Amino acid sequence: MVDLWLLGQATTSGLLLGCIYAVVALGLSLIWGVMEIVNFAHGDFLMLSMYLSYFLFTYLGLDPLVGAILGFLMGLALGLLIEKGLIEKVLGSPPIVTILVTFSILLIIRYGAMAAWGPGVKTLHPWYFMAILDLWGVRISMAYLIGALISLAATIALHIFLTRTYTGIALRATSQNRLAAELLGIDAKKMYTLSFCIGVALVGLAGGILSTFYYVIPEVGGRFCMLSFVIVVLGGFGSLLGTFLGGLIIGVAEEISAIFIPPVMKDVVAFILFLLILMLKPSGLFGEVTR
Amino acid sequence: MRALEMIKAELSTKAGRIFTAAAIVAVILPLVVRDQFFINAMMLVYMYSIIALAWNLMNGYTGLLSFGHAVFFGIGAYTLMLLLYRGVTPWIGMLLGGLLSAGFAFLLGVPFSRLRSHWFALGTLVLGEIFLIVFANWRAVGGALGLDQPRRFLLSPPSIYWLNYARPTPYYYLALGILGLELLSLYAILNSRPGYFFQAIREDEEAAMASGINVTLYKCISMAISGFFTGVAGGIYTVRFGYIDPYAVFSMMRISVYPVIAGLIGGVYSLIGPIIGSLIFVPTAEYLRAIVGGTLGSRFQGVHFASFGIVLLIISMRIPEGLMGWLEMRGLLKPLMASGGGGDER
Repeated sequence: MVDLWLLGQATTSGLLLGCIYAVVALGLSLIWGVMEIVNFAHGDFLMLSMYLSYFLFTYLGLDPLVGAILGFLMGLALGLLIEKGLIEKVLGSPPIVTILVTFSILLIIRYGAMAAWGPGVKTLHPWYFMAILDLWGVRISMAYLIGALISLAATIALHIFLTRTYTGIALRATSQNRLAAELLGIDAKKMYTLSFCIGVALVGLAGGILSTFYYVIPEVGGRFCMLSFVIVVLGGFGSLLGTFLGGLIIGVAEEISAIFIPPVMKDVVAFILFLLILMLKPSGLFGEVTR
Repeated sequence: MRALEMIKAELSTKAGRIFTAAAIVAVILPLVVRDQFFINAMMLVYMYSIIALAWNLMNGYTGLLSFGHAVFFGIGAYTLMLLLYRGVTPWIGMLLGGLLSAGFAFLLGVPFSRLRSHWFALGTLVLGEIFLIVFANWRAVGGALGLDQPRRFLLSPPSIYWLNYARPTPYYYLALGILGLELLSLYAILNSRPGYFFQAIREDEEAAMASGINVTLYKCISMAISGFFTGVAGGIYTVRFGYIDPYAVFSMMRISVYPVIAGLIGGVYSLIGPIIGSLIFVPTAEYLRAIVGGTLGSRFQGVHFASFGIVLLIISMRIPEGLMGWLEMRGLLKPLMASGGGGDER
């Protein structure tokens, strides 16, 4: 019989972790929704931002959360550069070309980082790294809590941007029907660039948050790429609310399964969940259309 | 038998004669060249060609881009090694490894056929990571340390039954022979009904479905054939190197990405394109690794793999049709094998 306290503990930290996972996956989902492109280098932009936080903390003593904001700005700039320089040139080509271009970017960033900074593991320890908050008997890691709150704020901000501002509504219009949006005078190309920038910037923000409790290595992107993929499929392709809930589900599923099986295998649980969803409800838990 | 006649017709053309000459050169090469590193590199070229051809059956002919062929490769490699411990000859191990891999690929096709282009590719990439995690933590199959071939093979005299030679030449012929068999089988398949169905699915899934093709079934079949040959290639790796570990056989960079780059260099809309691509890419990568690898230490891997990315980026942006497609489009080459691919339609 499993301890109820342990389950509650796992659920709490799973929910907090899930909020952060959701922000990572939101970028992937947004870019897919608007551009119908999957950014394979998604997890590796995350890795770049983690290294940014690491260097800022180690050499300048800047808090990783300040690093997260700089990571967000770096993501905007990097997204603009890559979208304008590479992606825009292959938009409209067969899918294989866009897949290969983003996959090449993955290889260049991931192994470029390994060449530049070596394959070793790096960690950074801000004051809240080991701090624990005791809430009615449930112990919460400060790093998780701060990360989850920032993630939640970012998600709400994105939601407000997409539903309340003119640009956000134009972005959604482009994702629903590009031709109709262009007829209404929306510059679809600009919307593509914007969605790519926001997507990469979100993952830049998440990288800074994750660096407060997760180790930093050049290949760290692989794991988060996998998690985002599973979350997006789970939540229904391109649906923002679905993606967020998908993130929470995966966070909780991973933490709870870690009670029963070795922690290294928890990604396997997420993957099996994904296979089940594909077989039973291929449009995802909250999606409407199959892609 | 129609396929046999078609092959005869192919070989009597000018390009066919070049192909025959190349095949003869490949057969007598080890008798002329004594350089063992070179023979070993050529064996790797054939092994990667087997994977690249199999990969391209999915990518070029069925429209399923895979970044996870290491999964099929690793299943074949592990099956052969585990059967060696039971005293089973590598010949049977290789066949069973291929069949197991094919069976897995077929079953995988059921959920994966629901994923369209981008998501299929991402799904296969993720599958590779999952297999690496599982095998690196699975004690019964050696965990992260992997498996050494049973000790008695090192002690027993080299024989064709156990395939335990030290020099690379026997493995050279093994890989070449299997590559030849694969080329013939794929040619026959692609010029029969399933082959046409694969290409119909690649061109337009909805239209294929509307014409009464069971899209899921034929995607699964394409994956199974691809998985079979990739699994056999995994078996070749095991008998050649006598040692396997999850980081080698489930490696994204060393196994899954090689056929992608080789296929793209050679051209994905031609049957033999991936072989040409392997001929160019694999020796370049191997010699670079041998010459430069030692001097840069662990960071070399980063430089090495990042340069793969640059190569891939340039090809996919500049010449996505590959070398064979490029030659065909300039009229310098007639489609060498009646590939039926997009190369001659565009």
